[in-house]
Amino acid sequence: MILGHYINSKGLAVLALISSMSVQAQTAKSVILIYLDGGPAQTDTFDPKPDAGRDYFGLYKDAIETNVPGTFIGAKLPLLASIADKYTLIRSMTHGINAHESAHYAMITGDLSGGPVVYPSFGAVINFEKQHSYSGILPPYISLTSANSRFNEGGFLGNNYKSFDTGGSPEKGKFEVEGIINTWVKPQKLADRMALLDQINSCSPVKADSAIQLLFDNYHRKNMNFITGDAKNIFDLSTESKAMRDKYGMNRLGQSCLVARKLVQAGVPFVNVRTTGWDTHKMHFQRMNEMLPELDRALWALLTDLDEKGLLDSTIVLCGGEFGRTPKVLWEAPWNGGRSHFGKAFSYLVAGGGLMPGKILGRTDATGEEILDRKVYPCDLIGTVYTLMGIDPNGTLPHPSEGTLPLLPSLGKKDQSNGLLYELINTQKSTEK
Amino acid sequence: MNQLQVILLLWIIAVTSFGHSIDSYIKQKPPHDKRISDAEFLRRTFIVITGRLPQPTFAESFLKSENPSKRAQLIDSLLASEGCNAMLTMRWGDMLRIKSEFPSKLWPNGVQAYNRWLHEHIAENTPYHQMVRELLLSQGSNFRQPAVNFYRAFPKRTPAIIYNNINLLFLGSRSTRGDGSTCFAQLNYKNTKEWKEEIVFIDTHVPIFNSSIRINDSTNIKLNAGTDWRIPYVNWLTNNNTQFAAVMANRIWYWIMGKGIVDEPDDWRDDNPPSNESLLNALTTHFIKNGYNVKALMREILNSDIYQSAAGTPGGFVSQRLLAEVVVDAIADITGISDQYISRVPEPFTFYPLGTPAIELGDATVSSPVLELFGRASRDISFENQHNIQLTAQQLLYLMNSSELENKIRQSPVLNGLCKTYKNQVQLLQQITLLTLSRMPTAKEREIYKTYANLNKQSLRNFATDIVWTQINSIEFLYNH
Repeated sequence: MILGHYINSKGLAVLALISSMSVQAQTAKSVILIYLDGGPAQTDTFDPKPDAGRDYFGLYKDAIETNVPGTFIGAKLPLLASIADKYTLIRSMTHGINAHESAHYAMITGDLSGGPVVYPSFGAVINFEKQHSYSGILPPYISLTSANSRFNEGGFLGNNYKSFDTGGSPEKGKFEVEGIINTWVKPQKLADRMALLDQINSCSPVKADSAIQLLFDNYHRKNMNFITGDAKNIFDLSTESKAMRDKYGMNRLGQSCLVARKLVQAGVPFVNVRTTGWDTHKMHFQRMNEMLPELDRALWALLTDLDEKGLLDSTIVLCGGEFGRTPKVLWEAPWNGGRSHFGKAFSYLVAGGGLMPGKILGRTDATGEEILDRKVYPCDLIGTVYTLMGIDPNGTLPHPSEGTLPLLPSLGKKDQSNGLLYELINTQKSTEK
Repeated sequence: MNQLQVILLLWIIAVTSFGHSIDSYIKQKPPHDKRISDAEFLRRTFIVITGRLPQPTFAESFLKSENPSKRAQLIDSLLASEGCNAMLTMRWGDMLRIKSEFPSKLWPNGVQAYNRWLHEHIAENTPYHQMVRELLLSQGSNFRQPAVNFYRAFPKRTPAIIYNNINLLFLGSRSTRGDGSTCFAQLNYKNTKEWKEEIVFIDTHVPIFNSSIRINDSTNIKLNAGTDWRIPYVNWLTNNNTQFAAVMANRIWYWIMGKGIVDEPDDWRDDNPPSNESLLNALTTHFIKNGYNVKALMREILNSDIYQSAAGTPGGFVSQRLLAEVVVDAIADITGISDQYISRVPEPFTFYPLGTPAIELGDATVSSPVLELFGRASRDISFENQHNIQLTAQQLLYLMNSSELENKIRQSPVLNGLCKTYKNQVQLLQQITLLTLSRMPTAKEREIYKTYANLNKQSLRNFATDIVWTQINSIEFLYNH
């Protein structure tokens, strides 16, 4: 830090801050990513522009003041407005990419280097980094209800670190988690079948390799423990009161957030709640009328619930998409009031895990088309998450053929990074602990 | 190598390989009792060549047939089948990283044109060296000259990265030798007014710094100003280049046997020598002598005793978990219920015709959670090992207890039909075993299932569900032996 004061070169100052942060103590145990797949409109949510005119605010003229005086958010988010002291809004996210796959890749790997290597998602990296210290019964990285498969999120770490997709529908009567909860097959039936399978495997005319046989036996035992053990109870929403379920909203997103809270309670290090339908080129406002209240309720419920249960301090919550949407409404045909992809300036809501709440980081201009200060690149956000999770953002990862590679290849590079979010790290608090 | 040396080498190869089949190069001749049964041969060969299971009626008649040359005939008919073309197109697509979006970004029109180009060449069995020449010397529109997509499938299109990939694909080397990247320095790209069309062209105005290019320790090639510098490189690569032929011959061996003579097949290094050099030489010679005929070499290998020996025989077939696409297609074929595949690029989404097999998707941007679970090739890199065939607990969890799979088996129109036609347990067991494992049930298995049925009183249809569940969960099913 001291070095930073004496050096004018911005790059070096950033480097000094990065190195001072890498000694930051771990404050977070888990991450919940609420991923608004398709790209949500930042100007209709976390960065409203009520003075920009109808060509910009479209059908959402109003913004509402939050419980943090002077902070306004979109009028469709009244519940979130009531708890703005629990989260911080980053209004200056940027990577400049307007294609879904490349933007998604940049947003969840932090890699803007354009190199030939495909990086793993930050969920996969956290899975990799926590594989030895995490000892819970559930997989360390879980997606509700499925991960975005637009690129291979295992990257060069390989398949083993990808997320476990639950499948199923948590908003239905029974949440059928693929492989764990199967209402069609009663426990006795499964046991009968397993016994049959054992006999069949051992008398097959095709002699299996003994190593494969051993692997099957081990995995079958492990899976049976998994299916019959406590794992299914963690996903069982009937253990929650109706009031609690209603608080989150009886829809896919709401109930997924409730499951996410239960998973975090069980110690799962990374939960990805993916909600689709945000790619609103057409019928934008009609769809937002339906989707924003669900988002508002789910996110409000999650943050207050985590807080009441004392989990918010150790759980990082992130909410955003692969990019934002054009601040200017496309009134013309065929869009008829839609918004297109916008990677230049968009917003993320961040909370918990040691991040300072009640702040606004970064600022866009009057129409939301330009960032005026504090650009935040994907690797800055992800690097901050790593730091809070006790992972050195300047560390390395093993590549199967290229030796070791930097965990975040863009970190500290011009136009790919603007420094970790030291403004949001509550050092005071972490030293007290 | 000068011309005289080439002639001498070819002569030596021709003399030494004359009259020998592949089996004479196998160090330990497999004992006769290691020869696999017709049933094992049938399933292994269908999966190796087409990635699919045989129809149960076909399996039944093959097993009953007493024609002494039925194995050779099956090999020939499978090599000529559309299934073989589909499988090889997928293998090439994996190597060439064919994907609509990240990281190859070929976009759907380019992907389709590229796949069609590959499929045509594979169906016509175009000599390998000619196909590679056409691929590497391509220029023009990505829609109209599909081979140019080779030069587009790089997130960063630098001559060095392109040259590295050519070294990997066609010379099996993960490290680059020589200065050949200069030969690709004239590549350039421009857009047209058509959406996502891109022209790959050779800019002959690129200044020449060094007209003599070192390709490897013993070879230099000469570049002339104003000409396409790829031509002398591709001439060197594809004309009488033993390494070029050997890499493909070894790759074919790997595709069939599950393990390369040089292994991994794209990791040729001095300190990673072939496990059987004379065999590799014989395969290479066969490949060159037959005009780089891929299917002819496959035929030779498939007809050998070593291929038709039990898995685990030294130098022979290696038992391996089925590829992700093969698992998913087998489940679809057995149950008669396929997954719906959707391309999310571009909007609005494109729905593939229901029943499209996973091996024919042709685009790694189109996927499904189950394909991902079983380690489908990501097409991020050109390594063969991108197919992750490692068995995981999660894969078995899916097979054991997934509602999705359970529903497919319960609702299967194929099983509904079988239960209508075959009213007793014995016949039903036989039909289901032919369907899932391509063989007859053994006496022991009949007994086990009979005991199970007696202990668990249930409808014939529910019994069918339990049989299929058990067989799909068996080691025999999940592996090619």
